[in-house]
Amino acid sequence: MDILASFGQGLLVVLEPQNLMYCFIGVFLGTFIGVLPGIGSMAAIAMILPLTFYLDPTPALVMIAAVFYGAEYGGSTASILMNVPGTPAASITAIEGYQLAKKGRAGVALFSTATASFGGAMIGMVVIAVLSPSLAQLALSFGPADYFAVILLGLIAASAVSNGGALKGIAMVVTGLMLGTIGIDLTTGDLRFTMGIPELRDGVHIVVVAMGLFGVSELIASIRANTGGKATQTIDYNEFYPSKEEWKSLFGPILRGGTIGSFFGALPGTGQTIAAAIAYAVEKRVSPQRKKFGTGVVPGVAVPEAANNSATQTAFIPTLTLGVPGSPPMAIVIGALMIYGITPGPRLLVEEPDMFWGLVASFLVGNIMLLILNVPLIGMWVRLLKIPYKIMYPTIIVLICMGVYSLNNNVFDVWLTLVIGAVGYVMRLFRFEPAPLLLGFVLGPLMEEQLRRTMLLSRGDPMVFLERPISATLIAITVGILVVALYSTAQNRRRARATAKNPQQEGTQA
Amino acid sequence: MKLDRRTLLGTGLASLALFAAPAAMAEPGAWSGEPVRIVVTFPPGGTSDLVARLLAKHLDSDFGQKAVVDNRPGAAGTVAADYVAQQAADGTTLILSNNAPFTIAPTRFKSIPYEPIDGFAHIAYIGASAPGLFVQPSLGITTVDEYVAHAKETELTYGSSGVGSISHILGEAVDATLGVESIHVPYQGSSPAIQDFRAGVLDTFYDMAVQNSDMIEDKEAVAIAIASPERNPELPDVPTFREQGHDIVIENWVGLSGPAGMDPDMVTTIHDTVLAVFANPEVQTRLTELGITHRAMSTEDYTSFVAEQIDIWAPLIISAGIAE
Repeated sequence: MDILASFGQGLLVVLEPQNLMYCFIGVFLGTFIGVLPGIGSMAAIAMILPLTFYLDPTPALVMIAAVFYGAEYGGSTASILMNVPGTPAASITAIEGYQLAKKGRAGVALFSTATASFGGAMIGMVVIAVLSPSLAQLALSFGPADYFAVILLGLIAASAVSNGGALKGIAMVVTGLMLGTIGIDLTTGDLRFTMGIPELRDGVHIVVVAMGLFGVSELIASIRANTGGKATQTIDYNEFYPSKEEWKSLFGPILRGGTIGSFFGALPGTGQTIAAAIAYAVEKRVSPQRKKFGTGVVPGVAVPEAANNSATQTAFIPTLTLGVPGSPPMAIVIGALMIYGITPGPRLLVEEPDMFWGLVASFLVGNIMLLILNVPLIGMWVRLLKIPYKIMYPTIIVLICMGVYSLNNNVFDVWLTLVIGAVGYVMRLFRFEPAPLLLGFVLGPLMEEQLRRTMLLSRGDPMVFLERPISATLIAITVGILVVALYSTAQNRRRARATAKNPQQEGTQA
Repeated sequence: MKLDRRTLLGTGLASLALFAAPAAMAEPGAWSGEPVRIVVTFPPGGTSDLVARLLAKHLDSDFGQKAVVDNRPGAAGTVAADYVAQQAADGTTLILSNNAPFTIAPTRFKSIPYEPIDGFAHIAYIGASAPGLFVQPSLGITTVDEYVAHAKETELTYGSSGVGSISHILGEAVDATLGVESIHVPYQGSSPAIQDFRAGVLDTFYDMAVQNSDMIEDKEAVAIAIASPERNPELPDVPTFREQGHDIVIENWVGLSGPAGMDPDMVTTIHDTVLAVFANPEVQTRLTELGITHRAMSTEDYTSFVAEQIDIWAPLIISAGIAE
């Protein structure tokens, strides 16, 4: 009952006209950016970040969150209509979504994704409301060793479940870790890798790295890939609502996707993309329609959308209750809160209950807004895809530069963003994914800080990780994941070798 | 708060306008009518920032002089100081001067891109707040002498707001003066340190005393000493280091400075206006809440105060081992 009362309180907060307005701006802008191919929620958040400096913390947080989940709704539109995912997580939606669109059922696909997104988001919201208070209570006694163990678990889990190109993935994580070491060493005060540039003393800002990798480099890539206005699929509004059977087939995937998404969203390190991929893989095995997967089925678009939207919501759990960002956009959320002198952590729920519950309640309000924006008004977004990129992209570049400049009122940051963007584009050409780099950049310094703090406090005794019950439990889970991951990798390799020897068996494997 | 946010909104636009406009011609000793920009060396939200906003608000409401706060954090305050030193000395760009760029950085860093004394007009002193030493209630320590006895028996850990922060420098000064050795655990700002203190992993921490009066009241922490010359009226029960026989005084002061070469009449105008703002009882109440003790000081005195502070802090910074 306590949770319901708090939630009601939060609903009152979010229904204040000011908060309602910023929530709407957030979901609108999020959908807008999400629809545009290539540019994801990171870019959207970085662009509105300067705007949030002038707001009170609650509307600022509500708006940032709204952009974040709004982008996931919008992301599916481009992936269904053009087979160009608007956000990385939507690439999973594109698998079935684009097939449906090719069959002339784009309307049904879009309707199903909107419904599934809403369902997933609601599951995520319930999870956040139920889990956060008890997790925060538990986290009150968290020490540096426990924080270190949480982050380690997240990083290992993220690398264990991300498939393919493991070597490149690790290379990118390490690059991210290295970028994260630039600046003043927090424990000794020494400068690391600043190369005499005073602007680097405080390190590279997360928004600079994110905008370079996900804004600028995506734009360069998109300019090459698209010449604009290719949304050839038209929506037949007579074919907009799913059939009765399709309606029924939505519930299972939403429930499964939402649950899987909630779990991976809450785990720091794994995010919406991994959640969507795993949910799709699971659904492909358990769905009654599993045989038809790949040809364009409604559950196939519903499940990744439910997963990525619930993950988007639950990413706030570690972010707000532990102060550990669940994903790169969450690092921006933490940064934004710090500006107001609010340190996310176990005491946030107690000290800022209106803000926390206002945010949770805004998930409900924002998702209803999104449902309205994305079902009856879908045509508007489809038309948006027809705006020539030669107008769209320069505008976005300008907005990115403004956002980056406003971080420290410093032109150096703008140049650095452009340089990182150029490097990021080259990496992209060689198929190095930017996401693991950003993950390493965000979690690496935090992990280092907690590790060194633990060592200082334990007077150099590493056994402290096993002596504290919380960190010992987390480390045991981490080791478990690692063992399973290594075992299955070895198995896959053995299987691959066997397949290579007997190529005729390949057919039965797939 | 509403007004503050709106003032902030103006910051970006105002700074653009200032870049574009050539140094406006004005009578000597008077502001040209353009908004004044107060550069703050820290991000929004800290004490410095709040003082700057308080000043900006009252410059407007009491004197009709528009003022905006421009946060230029970075590199321990040196980014902001370097920036202000290079601006036109017409009274439209000022800096909320404090320990970070003016007394700590000159000793801490091998080279800084500005002259802390000659590169600026140090116009008016505003006030200072003092940090204190907080210990876990479970340790049963209430005085500095008990702290020494305990620290000699078992090595204690202390949390600070970061390497080179005032709380760190105080921690090292206390260790050196009392002849004890404790383990320094740096954090990024005081609130994560306090979080760990509450979780019981830190034995002690140093932080601005008045800001933690809630913890003292709730008996979550025992403040055994404050590093101000006299007791703070907000914390009448917290004794100073001095009255316990240890000469440790470290204060976090703030003032207002501008680029060197300002017209003396302009300096006088700003000095008198600032003093008038801080004589306002409403402003004084707010300062007290922030833990800042206000004192009026002439421009000459403030300039020599800043120079003295560099000499006072230098040995502390060197003995803390944070000088480059």
